[in-house]
Amino acid sequence: MSQNKRVVKAAIATAGVCGMLALSACGAAKTGQSDQAGESGKTVKLTVPSWVGAQANVAVAQNLLENELGYKVKTQQMGEVLAWDALAKGNLDAIMEDWGHPAQEKKYIDDKKAVVKGGDLGVTGHIGWFVPKYFADKHPDVKDFRNLNKYADQLKTSESDGKGQILEGSPDYVTNDAALIKNHKLNFKPVYAGSEAAQITEIKKNVKEKKPFLTYWWTPQWLNNDIELTEVKLPEYKDGCDKDTKKITCGYPKTPLQKFLNADFAKDGGKAAQFLKNFKWTTEQQNEVAKMIAGEKMSPEAAAEKWVKENPDTWKQWIPKG
Amino acid sequence: MSAEKPQETVFSVRNLWKVFGPKADRIPGSAHAGLPAGELREKTGCTAAVRDVSFDVRKGEVFVVMGLSGSGKSTLVRCLTRLIEPTSGKLSIDGEDVLAMDRARLRELRRHRAAMVFQHFGLLPHRTVLDNVAYGLEIQGLGKAQRRAKAAEVVEKVGLTGMENRRPSQLSGGQQQRVGLARALAVDPEVLLFDEPFSALDPLIRRDMQEEVIRLHREEGRTMVFITHDLSEALRLGDRIALMRDGEIVQLGTPEEIVASPADDYVRDFVRDVPREQVITVRHVMRAAEGDEAETGPAITPGATVAEAIEAVARAGSPARVMDNGRCLGVVDSDLLLGVVAGTRQEEVAA
Amino acid sequence: MTTTTSPGADTGNRKPGAASAPERRATGANFLRGTGGKLLLFAVVAGTLGAVAAATLGSGSWPAALSVDLTKPLDDVSDWIIDNRDTHPLFLYFLLHLSNTATAAVNAVYGTLVSMGALGVGVAAALVAWRAGGMGRTGLRVAATALGALAVCGLLGMWDATVLTLALMAVAVVVAAVIGALLGLGAGLSDRFDRALRPVLDTMQVLPAFAYLLPFVLIFGTGTPAALFATVIYAAPPMTRLTALGLRGAAPTVLEASASLGSSPLQRLWTARLPLARKEMFLGLNQTIMMALSMVVIAALVGAGGLGEEVYEALSTVDVGKALAAGIPIVLLAIMLDRTTGAAGEQLDAVVTDRPRLLRGWWTWAGIAVATAAAVLAGRGTGLADWPKAWTYDISQPVNVFNDSVIAQLREGLPVIGGTQVWAEHFTNWLLNPLNAGLHAMPWWLLLLLVAGFALLVGTWRTALTGVLALAAVGVMGVWPKSLNTLSQVLAGLLLTLVLGFAIGILAARVGWVERALRPLLDAMQTMPQFVYLIPVVALFAVGRSAAIIAAVVYALPAVVRITTQGLRQVDPAAMEAASSMGASGFQQLRQVQLPLARPALLLAVNQGVVLVLAVVIVGGLVGGGALGYDVVFGLSRGELGTGLVAGMAIVCLGLMLDRVTQPTAAARKDT
Repeated sequence: MSQNKRVVKAAIATAGVCGMLALSACGAAKTGQSDQAGESGKTVKLTVPSWVGAQANVAVAQNLLENELGYKVKTQQMGEVLAWDALAKGNLDAIMEDWGHPAQEKKYIDDKKAVVKGGDLGVTGHIGWFVPKYFADKHPDVKDFRNLNKYADQLKTSESDGKGQILEGSPDYVTNDAALIKNHKLNFKPVYAGSEAAQITEIKKNVKEKKPFLTYWWTPQWLNNDIELTEVKLPEYKDGCDKDTKKITCGYPKTPLQKFLNADFAKDGGKAAQFLKNFKWTTEQQNEVAKMIAGEKMSPEAAAEKWVKENPDTWKQWIPKG
Repeated sequence: MSAEKPQETVFSVRNLWKVFGPKADRIPGSAHAGLPAGELREKTGCTAAVRDVSFDVRKGEVFVVMGLSGSGKSTLVRCLTRLIEPTSGKLSIDGEDVLAMDRARLRELRRHRAAMVFQHFGLLPHRTVLDNVAYGLEIQGLGKAQRRAKAAEVVEKVGLTGMENRRPSQLSGGQQQRVGLARALAVDPEVLLFDEPFSALDPLIRRDMQEEVIRLHREEGRTMVFITHDLSEALRLGDRIALMRDGEIVQLGTPEEIVASPADDYVRDFVRDVPREQVITVRHVMRAAEGDEAETGPAITPGATVAEAIEAVARAGSPARVMDNGRCLGVVDSDLLLGVVAGTRQEEVAA
Repeated sequence: MTTTTSPGADTGNRKPGAASAPERRATGANFLRGTGGKLLLFAVVAGTLGAVAAATLGSGSWPAALSVDLTKPLDDVSDWIIDNRDTHPLFLYFLLHLSNTATAAVNAVYGTLVSMGALGVGVAAALVAWRAGGMGRTGLRVAATALGALAVCGLLGMWDATVLTLALMAVAVVVAAVIGALLGLGAGLSDRFDRALRPVLDTMQVLPAFAYLLPFVLIFGTGTPAALFATVIYAAPPMTRLTALGLRGAAPTVLEASASLGSSPLQRLWTARLPLARKEMFLGLNQTIMMALSMVVIAALVGAGGLGEEVYEALSTVDVGKALAAGIPIVLLAIMLDRTTGAAGEQLDAVVTDRPRLLRGWWTWAGIAVATAAAVLAGRGTGLADWPKAWTYDISQPVNVFNDSVIAQLREGLPVIGGTQVWAEHFTNWLLNPLNAGLHAMPWWLLLLLVAGFALLVGTWRTALTGVLALAAVGVMGVWPKSLNTLSQVLAGLLLTLVLGFAIGILAARVGWVERALRPLLDAMQTMPQFVYLIPVVALFAVGRSAAIIAAVVYALPAVVRITTQGLRQVDPAAMEAASSMGASGFQQLRQVQLPLARPALLLAVNQGVVLVLAVVIVGGLVGGGALGYDVVFGLSRGELGTGLVAGMAIVCLGLMLDRVTQPTAAARKDT
């Protein structure tokens, strides 16, 4: 079989030489090329975050970009931080709703200058800890986080290891809960439902059975119209108190939600870029669409179409002139 | 078949060894060389498949190597074209040293001078009969049209006409071996090597194939080296037979010599059940003519078998004369012939 | 009467030293005096080590003193890559070429498919399937399958996603097949290369698909390149393995015949070895395609796009209807590709009967090309270039309605027996939680010892050592509790799989019609990508650990049932006959003859079961499975690759440990 060995050696040598030639022949590769397959022409790439409010933004923007401005829109679901990276690389053109990522803002806007701000979305978001109203009514002192340990026992579940459970949503949401629990010595454990939908299912189930629960939650959220939740007060947010996310003790700020654009897109994106910069609506308007999607199980496209038909006055202002 | 052709040598083999195992090359010529197989393995971890074998294959003859399984005969035939590399010894073809050949020369030898037919056919299952036959020519680098034309001729020669486009899996065993034979013939080799070509076939088909080989040999006179474990096959086909045991040649001679005067008990045991009258010729049985015996009685050739002589004697009712070119060499009578059949008479056959 | 001598025996042409190997092994066995001795020795060593470990490092969870935090350095690497990927030569001259080429290739194929239009793609797929199926009746059936599958993809409104998935698949499969074939060529021809490659392939085979994603995201970021390369790496091993197997299995008689005619090694490779290995290589291609599909779908997590993304989106909003609408095309694609390649593989053996000239060789392909071109033009002319919107039907709404009414009833509202979700809760409370708690309560060294002991019982010192080292590595990486959580899920899933699998397997082995009824079902199930299994379980069991485990059980079941059935069937009929001649009842036969004799097969079933269950339990991180799988998803979606990679490595270690511990003997190893 010594002859086989020779064949193998020859093959390896040939492959190696070919490989080297191939690489050296083409020199330095182009950078900043989009990594996404399946796009063409006048395509705007938007990320779809996994919560419904943000889906509402994208659905309406997609409807208008396609029907009013003649663009093609490609949407892609990805985690928030990944979306930032994709935005910097040009795999995405815009993030329509961002709840605050200081580290990424510094890295991609200030350092690499690959991303630019796209202005306010018009919606102010706030994250916090919530209990159902029926529970807060019965135990008014639960509204202060310092008393939470008293209720740990009532809030424990099969998934929380004998501690009280704080229900979390998707892993990619902005959260400091693990650190807060540790730093305030709370006898609680964050349990991730996995997604907003799973979290809502869990909340609805508890509400149906009138069971007590504690959840990471936020506004605006369409569900808040259906279910009454009461916020548990965390130490007040002050500028910079969330610098070190390991030692954090304060609660969450009220965040004016932001839009971000890829720098090149912002410059060369023409009407689409201008439109996305102009896009601005209210918490109520967003909730209206979000509720159609999540509460009434309409497809995002259908919900957006309905809203666009009913609110021309709002969106007409977003369309760039000329 | 005649053993009296001009004695030109094709293969010349001298002191050939093939030893398998660690440090195999140290065995030939060492103190261990003479040990029986079991002891050799115990002492050295080696197996000697071919031990100190010497013989010549003459041009135009059918040289049969016979032995039981494990006797080293298949290894021996593979050594001839270095499909298995011999451990030591000398080997030449038409006077050219085979062991000294470089790769290209060796390939040349295999491509043009010696082609082999295998026990398990070794056909390419994905090719048609025609392309299998043309395979050797393809290896030689012949163009498609040319090799197909040549292959078609050979296909006809071995009686496979009409089956050119079948696959081997659609053929019977006998037909497959015809393809194997045709493949070897297609390259028009100087020597055909057969490695137990018919032992995987049914007895009847085996007989057909043996006839086929005899016919081919008669027509073309090609030199053949034929490996078999079947004594009757060896006797039918062989001009000369080398009988192997444990890697050694225990006896080399014409079929008649082997049957008539076995070299040792092993060979004697081996040929015990051979119908001697079919093998032994009257040349070795006859006695001098007495009286008018040289003048009368049926005439037979010296090469006639005892069985043929019996028939002649029985028909005539008198002793038969052994005639060569009109000269009476001697006579055989019923006593002599019966003695051969009964095995009571020891023929004088020079081994 | 003809004593056929095999050439190998006659020529003594074996590897040197082959004869002495058994003797050496025998000496080794003497030293240990079989399993009993092994275990005794082990008990002594274990007792001492355990005591020392407990005394110095404490019992309970993995000692912090023995942990190393890898998250931080990995995060640093990730940051470095993000900062330098536009400037560093490694990227400029190598990695970026790779990723740009990958994107360009996928885009080119996608562009071609899009410009061919729905009609063009459909006609081309059907004709290729027809040709692959041998242009006869089989061909027509395969072609109809392909056409039907694509039509349903379009009807469900998934045409674009389907085309993108197909484009990704096409590129990934070509690259994987070429790489796999080259590696297989090396392993088939060189013993040394084979020895080096084998453990790598064995290991790759036990790794969950999820674990492949992260390293590529680290290097390439999310997007097509990461998805493509992960898919290529994941899908290449079967091609490699089977190519090597085919080359090594080439009949020695044919090779010798070829050599005897004076062929050069290259000629021999080209005219004999490779053609003889065609069948295996085709099987390898088939498996590579199926694995690529499975991975392309999962790679949606890193931005592959296509059908997988639709499923992923739907899963993360628990939209069963939408998940189903995207899942059905995946299943159909799997069936279409499997049938087409399967039929092509069978054609290798088929005998070519005389066909009209137009249906032979290149003429067919030319014909297919012409017909496709015609279809493309016709599609353009009639407006069928894009799948018409009017021809789509959105099933998500009705499915969701169905889900909310009927399935919800199944979930909770069944009288007396409860409902699937109720069962899932019982499963969690009565099996999963105690198991999880038990594992957590167990001192770390005891668990290591248990693993070692178990591995020794079924395997060898080597498998035991690998198993222990792998588990220890999990501890060192600081993800001990999470890994135990995953482990508890795997064990619970395995238990369920084995109980069900053995029961069904035994039934199928003993009752003919059960096996006949099951076979097509098992065939279909074994071709499904892992992702698809998550959809129905989410509908039935809501999100959570039990859903992930059930999906894993369903995924692993076909293999376990199949191996069990085959193992029982292959029991020597003579032994069965002997037993029944002595008057053994059916049950006695099963218990006293079949099961003991089928032991190797059953152990193999356990081994396969554990590997498959792990794979899906990890993917289950997407539907609330938590633990390590969740960390991977977390790492991916938060961009905290350090966390994800550590979890990925822990998964690898866990997979290795579980595989080695259940690996019966080298002989019974899965070898295809």
